[in-house]
Amino acid sequence: MAVAQSVPAESNWIPSTCGMCLHGCGIRVQVRDGVALKIEGDPTNPDNLGKLCPKGNAGLSRLYDSTRVLKPMKRTNPRKGPGIDPKWVEISWDEAYGTVARELGKVRADDPRKLLCAIGDFQRILLWGWPAVFGSPNFFTSLGNYCGGSYHPVNGSVDGSFAAINDYDRCNYWIQIGSGDGFSSHLHLSGSAKRMADARMRGMRVVTLDPRMSVAAAKADEWIPTLPGTDRAFVLGMAHVLIHELKQYDREFLRDRTNAPYLVKEDGYLLRDDEGRAMVWDMQLAAPQPWNAAAPADMALEGAYEFAGMRVRTGFQVWADQLRDHTPERMSEICTVSAETIRRIAREFVEAAQIGATVEIEGKTYPFRPAALNYYRGSQSHANGLFDNLTYKMFNMLVGNIDVPGGHLGVPLDHRGFFIHEGEDGVLKPEPHQLHPAPPFKYPPDSTHLMEWFPIGFDAGQLNTETLLEPERFGLNYSPEVMLMYHSNPLWNLPETDKVEKIMARMKFVVAIDIQRTESTEWADVFLPDHTYLESYLLNCLEPPAVTGHSLRQPVVEPVGDTKDAYEILTEIAERLGFRDDWNDLLNVVTGFTANPKYLLDPEKRYGVEELWDRYARSIYGDDKGLDWFKEHGHAVRYRTPEETYMPYGKLRIPFYFEFIKRLGDEMQQKFEQVGMKDWPLDNYQPLPFWKNSQVIEDGKAGYRFYAITFKESLHTFADTVVMPWLSEVSEKDAIHGGILVNPITAENLGIQTGSRIRLTSPAGSIEGQAQVVEGIHPEVFGVSNAITRHFVTNDRQKQRGSHFNRLLTGSMRYTDSATGGLESSARVRVEKI
Amino acid sequence: MPAANISALGATRKMLGFSRRRVEFERATVAELLRSLGTVDGRSLYDNLVCEGRLRGDFAIVVNGLSLKSDQLNKPLQGGEEVVTMAILRHLHGG
Ligand code: SF4
Repeated sequence: MAVAQSVPAESNWIPSTCGMCLHGCGIRVQVRDGVALKIEGDPTNPDNLGKLCPKGNAGLSRLYDSTRVLKPMKRTNPRKGPGIDPKWVEISWDEAYGTVARELGKVRADDPRKLLCAIGDFQRILLWGWPAVFGSPNFFTSLGNYCGGSYHPVNGSVDGSFAAINDYDRCNYWIQIGSGDGFSSHLHLSGSAKRMADARMRGMRVVTLDPRMSVAAAKADEWIPTLPGTDRAFVLGMAHVLIHELKQYDREFLRDRTNAPYLVKEDGYLLRDDEGRAMVWDMQLAAPQPWNAAAPADMALEGAYEFAGMRVRTGFQVWADQLRDHTPERMSEICTVSAETIRRIAREFVEAAQIGATVEIEGKTYPFRPAALNYYRGSQSHANGLFDNLTYKMFNMLVGNIDVPGGHLGVPLDHRGFFIHEGEDGVLKPEPHQLHPAPPFKYPPDSTHLMEWFPIGFDAGQLNTETLLEPERFGLNYSPEVMLMYHSNPLWNLPETDKVEKIMARMKFVVAIDIQRTESTEWADVFLPDHTYLESYLLNCLEPPAVTGHSLRQPVVEPVGDTKDAYEILTEIAERLGFRDDWNDLLNVVTGFTANPKYLLDPEKRYGVEELWDRYARSIYGDDKGLDWFKEHGHAVRYRTPEETYMPYGKLRIPFYFEFIKRLGDEMQQKFEQVGMKDWPLDNYQPLPFWKNSQVIEDGKAGYRFYAITFKESLHTFADTVVMPWLSEVSEKDAIHGGILVNPITAENLGIQTGSRIRLTSPAGSIEGQAQVVEGIHPEVFGVSNAITRHFVTNDRQKQRGSHFNRLLTGSMRYTDSATGGLESSARVRVEKI
Repeated sequence: MPAANISALGATRKMLGFSRRRVEFERATVAELLRSLGTVDGRSLYDNLVCEGRLRGDFAIVVNGLSLKSDQLNKPLQGGEEVVTMAILRHLHGG
C-alpha cells in the first residue's frame, strides 16, 4: 500500500513512535497535504503520558533536514582521510546494490570474518544479526559498550533484568549517581521526568552524586560532587557504615532472598555436599546443612565456622570482612567527600528504607523499602565497572530493596520475560548476555573485539583500536578488509580517533547505511540512504521502566527523496549475496517466531517490511491485532502489573555472593594457560566488589593532574542529534554547552577565563577548546558536553567546535574492565592555556 | 501414528534438506525423533546435534514454544507438537 493513500489531504494526527533516542515514546504527528507539521506526545500512551523531551519535539528537523542524503551515492575521490572531500555523486539503487554485493561478496567467498561491522540503530535491534548471517563476528564501535558494558551484564546476573530504575511511585529517598534518570537521560526520559516530578511533589528526597552539577544535581535536595570513577568508594564507605557501625541491614531479606547465607570456603568457592548442594550453617545443629534443608530461622547470615578441618564463612561475612577497612575516612580520601557526609547519607538512607515494613498492593503483601540507589553511565562506565555495578546492587541489597515496592527495580529488555530461569542452589540463573549468547572461548579468536575472551561481557568494540593494528599480538590470523556501517559513527564514538582513522584507511571498501553524512560516512565508498523514523515501520518495546507492550512506528508522510527502509536494504543485499534464506531464519529467531511456528518466515520467500511487522504484531497480540490494528491505535502499551514489577521471579533467591564470576575467571585462566597465553588480565573476576585503583587513578601519578569527563543533557543523545539545527540552537544558548567547563577556583589558579583557549592532554591524545568557567563542577574536573564534540558537520547552523572528547580515551585493556569489557569513560589530563 | 511438525532453521535446514515437514514417529521422545531424521551427510540429526547425550551448545530445539535444556532430550512427545530446530548464531551485537 502506498503511504500517500493513508495520509488524507486535510490535517490529520497520525499515531507513531519517537525514534530520536532508543526508547520510543508514543507520539502523534500532525500531517496536512502530505507534510508533517508538528509532533506531540501521545496522551493515550502510558509510557510517556503525552510528554516529549526536546529531541522528540525536534524530530521534524531530522525528517526535513536540508543536509539529509536523499539518494544513493558513490565516492569518486579514491583518496580518503579527515577533511578529504569524497566527491560524492548520486547513483541508482541498482548500481549501489550491485557495487556493494560485488565487494561484500568477494570477502564472503574468501573469509566472511573480513567484514567489520559498526551497528548503532538501537530501536531496530531485530536487524543487528545481519552480520552474523553474513558470517562475520566483528563489531567495530563502542556505542553501547560506552554506557552499558558492565551495567547490563550485572543487571542480568542479579535479577535477569537488562536495566534498572528506582520505584518512581513508592520511593521516598532516592540516591542518584552519575545518571540522568528522571531528569535528563536514560530510560524513557519523557515519561520518567513526569514520574520524577510527581514523586518530588509527594515529598521524595533526592541526593545526587556527580562531578558536575547536572540537571539531576541541580534539582536534587543535595548535590555531592565526587571525583569521576570514585563513586564506588563513597558507596563502599556507606556499606561499611551500615554493616560495621550502625549494624542495620535487612537480615531477613539477605537470609531468605539471597545466597548471602551460603557458606564460602577459603578458596572462594561455596561449600557443597556430595550432591553438589550449597550449604548453609544451621545454628540449631551447629553444623552445615544443604540450603534447602535448613529452616530459614536457623540459617546463619553472619559468622565464620570450623567444619571438617575447614574454615568457612557465610557469603555475607566474607563481604563484611572485606569492607572492614573500607572506612568512611579511607573512602573519603578517594572520592573527596567527607567521612561525615558518607556517614550521614548512609544513616538517612537506612532510616528511609524502613527495614521490616510491608505494604499491601492489590490484595498482596510485599516488603516495603522506600529508599533506593539508582545509577548509570557516569558512575560505572569505568575500567572497574563490574565492581562499580556490583557495589551499587549490593548496597541496595543491604536494605532489602531489590524488586520490592519503593526499591530498586529490574527493567526487562522488552516485553518478554526470557531471562528468568532457576539456576543453581535455588538462585536465579545469571543472565549476563542478553543480546547474544556467550561465545565459547577460542584461541586464536574469531572476533577482532575478542568476544570469545569475555564470557560475561558485552562487545568491547574499543579493543579494535589495538587488535586491528597489532593482530598478531592477539593471535588474530586475518584482518578485516571491508566495512559496513549502519547508523554508526566509529570515528566519533570510539576512543583514540587517530587509530580508528588508520584502521579505516586500511579498508578496501566501506558501505554506509545512514541518514546523514558523518565523520565516518565520509570514508565510505557507497552511501545507502535510510528512511527516518517518520517514514518507516517498527514495532518497538525497549527498556520500558513502568510499562510493557509495543508502540508502532509508522510512516506519517511519503519518504523524502529516494530513500529506503534499512530492513529492505539489508534484505536486498542478503538476496544478492545468496543468503536471504538464512536472513529469514535469523529473523525467525530474533522475533520469537520460533515460539509460535505458524508465523515463521518461509526461507524461500521475500517479505516486505509491512508483512514482517504485521507477522510480528500478530505473533505477540493475536491475529486480530496485526499491523492495521496498530496503525489505527498506535500502541498496545499498558502499565506493568504489580506481579510483573515486583519479584517477578517468585521465591527464587538472587545472588549476593557471585561465585559464578569467580568460577568463570578461574576457567578462563586455565584456558589461557592451555594456549600458552599467560598475561591476559583476569583480575576483575571476583565474587565480591571492593576498592582498587584503576589506571585512571594511576595516571594521576604521572602528572595528569585533572580529570576530564563528558556528559549529555536532554537535548542530545547520539552523534546525530548533536548536529540538528533546532537542538544546536538551543544548546548554544546554554552556558554548559558553551565550552570546556572548569571550576572558578581552578580557573583562577591556571589563569583561565571564560573564552580562554585551553588544551587538555591525556595519555591517549589531546583536545582544544574554549574554557567556560562555571561553579557547578568539581574543582579537579573538566567537563565536555557532547554538544561540542562533533568534528565534522554538514549544516551551517552547527559550529565545529573540535572538542572531540573521545580523543582523550584509550581503547586498550588497561582501560577496560577485564571481566566485562566495559570501557573507561573518563580520563586524566594535563591542562594548559594556549 | 503420532506426528510432529518440524521447522528447521538455518544450518539444521541445510542438514535436513527441508525447512518444514510433518514427521510421523514411532517412539516418543525428542531424542528418538531426532534419530529418525536423516540428514544430507547420511547421519541422523541426533548425531549432528547431540554430543555425549546432551544437546550441543551451538544448537537449540524449541518444542511448543519452550526451549529445551541440553539434558532434556528425553522429553516425551505425544504427537501434534511443533518442533523447531536451529543453530545458534552467536554474534548479535550490542551493549
Ligand atoms: S525520550 Fe527518546 S523516545 Fe522519548 S521523546 Fe525523547 S528522544 Fe523521543
